Amino acid sequence: MAGLELLSDQGYRLDGRKATELRKLQARMGVFTQADGSAYLEQGNTKALAVVYGPHEMRGSRSRTLHDRAVINCQYSMATFSTAERKRRPHGDRKSTEMSLHLKQTFEAAVMTQLYPRSQIDIYVKILQSDGGNYSVCVNAATLAVIDAGIPMRDYVCACTVGFVDETPLADLCYAEESGGVSSLALALLPRGGQIALLQMDARLHQDHLETLIEAAMTACKGVSKVLDEVVRQHLQEASVLTGE
Amino acid sequence: MIKTERVLHLKSCVGRKVRVVREHYLRERVPCCSSLCQADCVNDGKLLPGDLTHYVVPDVAVVVDYLEILEFRELQGIIFTQTACQALQNKNRRCVYSAAVWYYNHLAGMMNIVMITEDPEAVAQFSSLTCGVYVISVQDYLQSFWSDLQAAHELFSSISQAQQETEGDDGEKEFPEHLPAEVLEAGIKSERYIQGTLNVNKHRAQNEAFVRPKNFSTKSTDLTWDVLVCGRKNRNRAVHGDEVVVELLPKNEWRGKGTALTDGDEKTGEDNESTPLPTGRIVGILQRNWRDYVVTFPTRDGIQSQSRNSQRILTIPWDQRIPKIRISTQQAEALQDHRVVVRIDSWESTSFYPNGHSVRVLGRAGELETEVQTILLENCIHILPFSDAQLREMPVNSLEKPWTVDPSEVAERRDLRDSHLVFSIDPRGCEDVDDTLSVRKLPDRRLELGVHIADVTHFVKEGSLTDLEARSRATTYYLADRRYDMLPAILSADLCSLLGGADRYAMSVLWELDAESLEVQEVWYGRTLIRSSYQLHYELAQALLNGEQVEVLELANLGPQERDSKVAQLTEALEMLTHVARHLRAKRDRGGALELEGVEVGAQLDEERNITALVPRQPLEVHETVAECMIYANHWVARKIQEAFPNQALLRRHPPPQQELFNQLVDTAKAKGFTIDTRSNKALAASLDRAVDPQDPLVNRLFRMMATTAMSQALYFSTGAHPQDQYYHYGLALDRYTHFTSPIRRYADIVVHRLLTAALDMERGVVSGKAPASNKEVEEMAHHINSKNRAAQAAQMRSTALFQCLFFKERDPQTDPCCVADAVIYSIRDNGVLVFIPEYGVKGPVYLKNKEGLVVVARQDGSCDWQGGTVRKCPDRITTTSSCGTSTFKLFDHITVRISVHSSTCHADRLNLEVISNKPHHSAKSQQPSPQGRSQLVKEVVRQNEEALAQEKTARRPKLSKEEREFRQSKTPSLYSILEEIRELALMDLEMASRLPATTA
Repeated sequence: MAGLELLSDQGYRLDGRKATELRKLQARMGVFTQADGSAYLEQGNTKALAVVYGPHEMRGSRSRTLHDRAVINCQYSMATFSTAERKRRPHGDRKSTEMSLHLKQTFEAAVMTQLYPRSQIDIYVKILQSDGGNYSVCVNAATLAVIDAGIPMRDYVCACTVGFVDETPLADLCYAEESGGVSSLALALLPRGGQIALLQMDARLHQDHLETLIEAAMTACKGVSKVLDEVVRQHLQEASVLTGE
Repeated sequence: MIKTERVLHLKSCVGRKVRVVREHYLRERVPCCSSLCQADCVNDGKLLPGDLTHYVVPDVAVVVDYLEILEFRELQGIIFTQTACQALQNKNRRCVYSAAVWYYNHLAGMMNIVMITEDPEAVAQFSSLTCGVYVISVQDYLQSFWSDLQAAHELFSSISQAQQETEGDDGEKEFPEHLPAEVLEAGIKSERYIQGTLNVNKHRAQNEAFVRPKNFSTKSTDLTWDVLVCGRKNRNRAVHGDEVVVELLPKNEWRGKGTALTDGDEKTGEDNESTPLPTGRIVGILQRNWRDYVVTFPTRDGIQSQSRNSQRILTIPWDQRIPKIRISTQQAEALQDHRVVVRIDSWESTSFYPNGHSVRVLGRAGELETEVQTILLENCIHILPFSDAQLREMPVNSLEKPWTVDPSEVAERRDLRDSHLVFSIDPRGCEDVDDTLSVRKLPDRRLELGVHIADVTHFVKEGSLTDLEARSRATTYYLADRRYDMLPAILSADLCSLLGGADRYAMSVLWELDAESLEVQEVWYGRTLIRSSYQLHYELAQALLNGEQVEVLELANLGPQERDSKVAQLTEALEMLTHVARHLRAKRDRGGALELEGVEVGAQLDEERNITALVPRQPLEVHETVAECMIYANHWVARKIQEAFPNQALLRRHPPPQQELFNQLVDTAKAKGFTIDTRSNKALAASLDRAVDPQDPLVNRLFRMMATTAMSQALYFSTGAHPQDQYYHYGLALDRYTHFTSPIRRYADIVVHRLLTAALDMERGVVSGKAPASNKEVEEMAHHINSKNRAAQAAQMRSTALFQCLFFKERDPQTDPCCVADAVIYSIRDNGVLVFIPEYGVKGPVYLKNKEGLVVVARQDGSCDWQGGTVRKCPDRITTTSSCGTSTFKLFDHITVRISVHSSTCHADRLNLEVISNKPHHSAKSQQPSPQGRSQLVKEVVRQNEEALAQEKTARRPKLSKEEREFRQSKTPSLYSILEEIRELALMDLEMASRLPATTA
């Protein structure tokens, strides 16, 4: 069966973007007041809500306590209404568990956990609508939530997926592209230092192309970081106007 | 960008309806690509011309139904909207209309826009909304804007008629329906069905077809061979070349394939069949591979026997593998006996034949021009003369404005004009010299060998119109009587041709060799400027080498002393060259290079461009010398580009043949008492050298021919697409090989030149403007060039056969001595033998049992008769028995055959061979003065009369081409020389020739 033409001869993608263009990214911080930090982020049609509690003392099994740094606890879930067909099991399945683990690794690399020994930070992320690039949207949303919670980080963590079609890297894949048989790569970056917090890929790709792909992913992440930075500054400004400073 | 959302309703894998939301970004700036643009759009690539009266915007329905009309060259300035291409929305007419209006406003009313649609509502609704934007139907459009374009009108009526036909067609089901795509896909995945390409047997087109499985990785071991599809019902509307899905039948229904010789019209039910093969039936078609077919309209009586109305006619395709096509036309009367190009539109399960429509009329069947066009079309070769725009890109070289070397180029290139003695060796009368050689002694006991190739890429820039045209042609096409150049004549015969005494740009490879061991010490690649001192031809070069006294054209007006010294200098260079070439050849022979009829000769021919001029070649050593240098250059360039671009270099490989294909050769050789070792190319070459029958030199030639048949074809490929151990060139015994030396007539060489330039730039650290083509692009290009090459070979082969037939058509088989020839049996079949006629290079079947059941029996004096009897086949002989005795035909027996032409209006003419004696035929002259009765003489006179009539006729027909007129006059020595040449050609291209005869094995 002929697959979809993911990149037209004129260089347009299925949804009208060019290869390096990101989807429209919108975000808001501090959407809930109950939690310590929260953020809502839309990247195209993928929408995620992130909530952060902590740092607080260890709850549950105290045996996991680390005496030199904080424990980061992540939970990823997808709303039952997030996909085209109603999802039966919103969390706890294998995919969600894996995603939680990835988030945990990402934020352990970015949050300055050594400042909070013997404590715990909880990050909950929920995908409200899923349209590709779930991991990166979660990371971006969680970053904003962590910042909102006032937890010090080394840098923003920005994530983006890239795919490889016709020898061209496509930034920020949507669902149609992801399911169209593209080998995709997810990358979380600390943009200022250029350190990679997480790199994940489970498709086949020729090793020669890897470098160009990572290069493209880093550029895309830097683009995301610019938007996030703007959102944070905007939020700060609003907050400072409210408090009258 | 504005983000919008688009809601789609799709079916999920379970079958439920799912609502999917996809975002869609609307761009604020999409370039309009018009040369009239006022708003500074970023236009690059192709532009809409500004000098038209209007632009056309078709809507979805028009694009779907009438795409062919839009493909006319005359129709320009067509704007395809994305909406029309994707046909996703229902309300698209409004979208298309607003696109048209946008264009009108964008171009500030400078250009009228015509939107064409087939929906009368839309015409009514939009036609008067905006002035300058017209909305009309296709028919109105053609009538008002292109009233003089007759072909478009005909095409339109033919298409619309075909459409009406399909609408009102209803009847019994002739075929089972194809399964839906999902079922097929699931079936292929679960290995219940097999996917492959349908290949119809040319000689049993009605019954036999094979499906070659696409991936051999299927677990069941008995599927390593093709799947047989027997009969029309099982084939289920698939046409030759389609990608199909087959289901295997239960084992008890498996059948074998026929082994008896047939000549197309099959009715024999009790054919002998070989062992049962996997047999299947087609359950679905994944991809139709319909192309344009050439068909012949039947004569009047054929039409009358047609059913229902005379508007629908069954036409017979030229290619026997294609089923008859039903055409509805009003021109049936006018088109009788004409060859017409048609396209198949559909094949419903209710219909016995596919429906089609006619596209273009080629001409009356049997005329030379028609036949040549047919050959080109059937091989998918579309050649139009070079357009003005392409020719405008060419540099000028005329008497008033002679072309000169550009000083800036001189500075960049290495100037070899004074330092090197450069010369070319080509066939006599060659116009396009694309390779020259040089050789000289260097001080420190070194030799410098140089190969200089015309620098075509300097003139043909990548992406230019000429480049695109050359790419689509991919090669120069050589037919028996004409050729179609890949590049315009100004390049191929003048500026790129390395003519003697003229300054020319070249790409050079220079090796520094050790004078003693001839090991390569250093290689230099690069662009150069050369002036060829001598333009030699093979015979002259050989004469110089042999030390004969010859006139060298370039030295004609020099003093005797000076001339002698120059000749001595040239001869020394030639000797040095021969010495080097011998060494190279020996080295390659040690590696296992094959000397085959066909492959090796073919490769040589590739190096010297003039296979074209059809000059009979005496095998001179200097041929080999030049070829060897070219092979060497190709090899080193291949090494260079492969090292520079490990993933995107264009190389040429020759895969090792499949061992089982050698079976025929090995068995045949065994019958003659030779053993052939086919394990490696070296062993094969050695055993072929040993298999010589001192009495009959033909035997060895036949063995080599058969070996050639077993070989796979050499192919271009991209290095990224295959593992390195597959780069090997089996025939030449080289680990890497490419084509570099004939850029004038092969596009692959142009690509290689560009790669080499890029590699050199990379070495020097120069960043060239454009990245070299990616692996995928190179691989696609390689596929394209391969298929074009195959088409070119097939066309060449076909045109040779055409001329052979024309030659024999002129002669009366009963009397003309030319029609009786000596033939060698090289294969035994159930009811006949396959023979090879060395005099004409023809291979073909000879029947020993005809359709009435009569068999050939030889009398005492060797002459043969048809009598009732039986035929018995053994592995190495075939015996016929009748009341008057038995006669035996053994492998490699020489027999005498008579050649006649089997003509047919619908297909190509064929040569018909008939045994007349089982004794060898001695040269035509010795048999000629046989006792002739008076009746014979009378016949001769009658024949002469007829010939005179025929000549008159040809004189009256003005449409005939010059060639044909020359041809029809027959008997002139020139004709014979043409045939001689054809014969040579046929011999050289045995690989192709071997496909012609009815080898049903």
